[in-house]
Amino acid sequence: MEAYPRPMGKLIGELSKLPGIGPKTARRLAFYILGQSTGEVKNLAEALTEAKEKIHYCSICNHLTAETTCSFCRSPERDQDVVCVVESPKDVVAMEKTGEYRGLYHVLHGAISPMDGIGPDQIKIRNLLPRLKDEIEEVIVATDPNAEGDATAMYMAKLLKPLGVKVTRIAHGLPVGGDLEYADEVTLSKALEGRREI
Amino acid sequence: MYLEKVLCRNFRNFNEVLLNLHPNLNIFIGANGQGKTNLLEAIYLMATADSHRTSVTSELINWEQKKALIQLKLEKRNGDLKLACKLSGSQKEVEINDNPLRKVNELLGYLNVVLFSPEDLKLVKEGPANRRKFIDLEISQVNPYYHHLSGKYDHILKQRNNLLKNLREKRFKSGKNTDISMLEIWDEQLIEIGTKIIKKRIEVIKKLKILARLAQRQITNGQENLQIEYESSLDGFNEKLKENETAVIFKQNLVNNRDKEIKRGYTVVGPHRADLMLKINKMDVRKFGSQGQQRTVALALKLAELEFMKSETGEYPVLLLDDVFSELDSSRRKTLLQIIADKIQTIITTTDMENMEGLRNNSYKIYHVNQGRITERG
Repeated sequence: MEAYPRPMGKLIGELSKLPGIGPKTARRLAFYILGQSTGEVKNLAEALTEAKEKIHYCSICNHLTAETTCSFCRSPERDQDVVCVVESPKDVVAMEKTGEYRGLYHVLHGAISPMDGIGPDQIKIRNLLPRLKDEIEEVIVATDPNAEGDATAMYMAKLLKPLGVKVTRIAHGLPVGGDLEYADEVTLSKALEGRREI
Repeated sequence: MYLEKVLCRNFRNFNEVLLNLHPNLNIFIGANGQGKTNLLEAIYLMATADSHRTSVTSELINWEQKKALIQLKLEKRNGDLKLACKLSGSQKEVEINDNPLRKVNELLGYLNVVLFSPEDLKLVKEGPANRRKFIDLEISQVNPYYHHLSGKYDHILKQRNNLLKNLREKRFKSGKNTDISMLEIWDEQLIEIGTKIIKKRIEVIKKLKILARLAQRQITNGQENLQIEYESSLDGFNEKLKENETAVIFKQNLVNNRDKEIKRGYTVVGPHRADLMLKINKMDVRKFGSQGQQRTVALALKLAELEFMKSETGEYPVLLLDDVFSELDSSRRKTLLQIIADKIQTIITTTDMENMEGLRNNSYKIYHVNQGRITERG
């Protein structure tokens, strides 16, 4: 005998495929959804399918958009001479939160990782090249500070430098506003390596 | 430093074990499978944030229970400390003086231990991997950044080996030489991190070789001179090279071995292929030493490790001897007891008291271990 009717089991199964959701949370969410009004549930279902159907990658920078190009690529207010390369759309959101960056983006949707069978052809690097013909002078590589992110950054430097573009990598080091004594040894050592003259 | 109190709750086969340890010598007697090594494992876990026997945390919890706890009261030169580790499922949480730490690895550096287990007797005789692990563990305990570096190096190595395997397949299918530009990207990281590892190892071995030489002379009454050298896998390497010069040599080695690496599908040079050369009176003791000599050298290396940690941290670590005391002959046991007397807290596990001659009064406590219960002998 099954503990739930089949559609309920199916709902729990689908929910538990989501990141960060285990079987317990999936069950809780499923019971919550069942308790909602039909209208609310329809809204949720529609939001899910609409998002999936309408949102795709920007034809220029691969960021998420519901149009052909994203709001950054369309905006005349962004600096047209600098591109920030990131691994995922989530990183664009993080960069935007700074309020400091006014340039364009390029989203790779991944990083080079031979272990996972991901090479330069599996991430969206190729469509960056035609963009460089325009007025772009600097490419800021803001991939994650791990082995895969560093490898991707190095690959981009090798690919882009011969084209006469300035390629830079964001610094890693101490969090601002923190006390030096609370920084862990690894971060502190890394910050020490990246020190600069003042 | 020494451990004043140890509490294990639901750890391995223990229910509740609370020990008031002697600052010098603690001897745990029991038949096999009663829980002697479990106690050492609990202490080792508090020093390294990892078990030396398993990487599966749930194995550490008593099978009838869901959560386990280890708590230590540690007496250090500048005051005492309370360390705790809570295990639940595959989760580890650590606390210092009741304050939870953000990362388990932040536990490193508070309690330092040197573990000497039956496996370590193979340190000299068996493959270079054991000796590399010995050096890496030793540096990691006093230098958390090195721990991070060696983890990163392993990760880069895995990625690079995967790439080499792909290149091998491609070459096999097409019969042509493949594009190696991707390899160069991983080379740069491998060289950067690898060079740092080599420099740190050389620095530590420089100190260690003097200490090990002294220890070996002490154990053998000045008969044997132990010589230790870092045996690099890099052609043209020597210890006097600066970091940037080492990087150049490393790169040259990678370039020279391109073909071989693609043929084999893995990285053939680098610190992951290095070894420790161990010589007694100019003879390679790894290959030609007698079993007794190899054991003496293993003991000398461990004693050198004790002194090294003392010089790095200002205090002697706690020595854990897991079933090895009875493996040593009587003169080595005597020397060992002399060395630890009054200065190094030592925890010994053994199946019988037979080989425990020469203990001084009031310098030790004896415990019996039986089916997960530990009782102090009055």
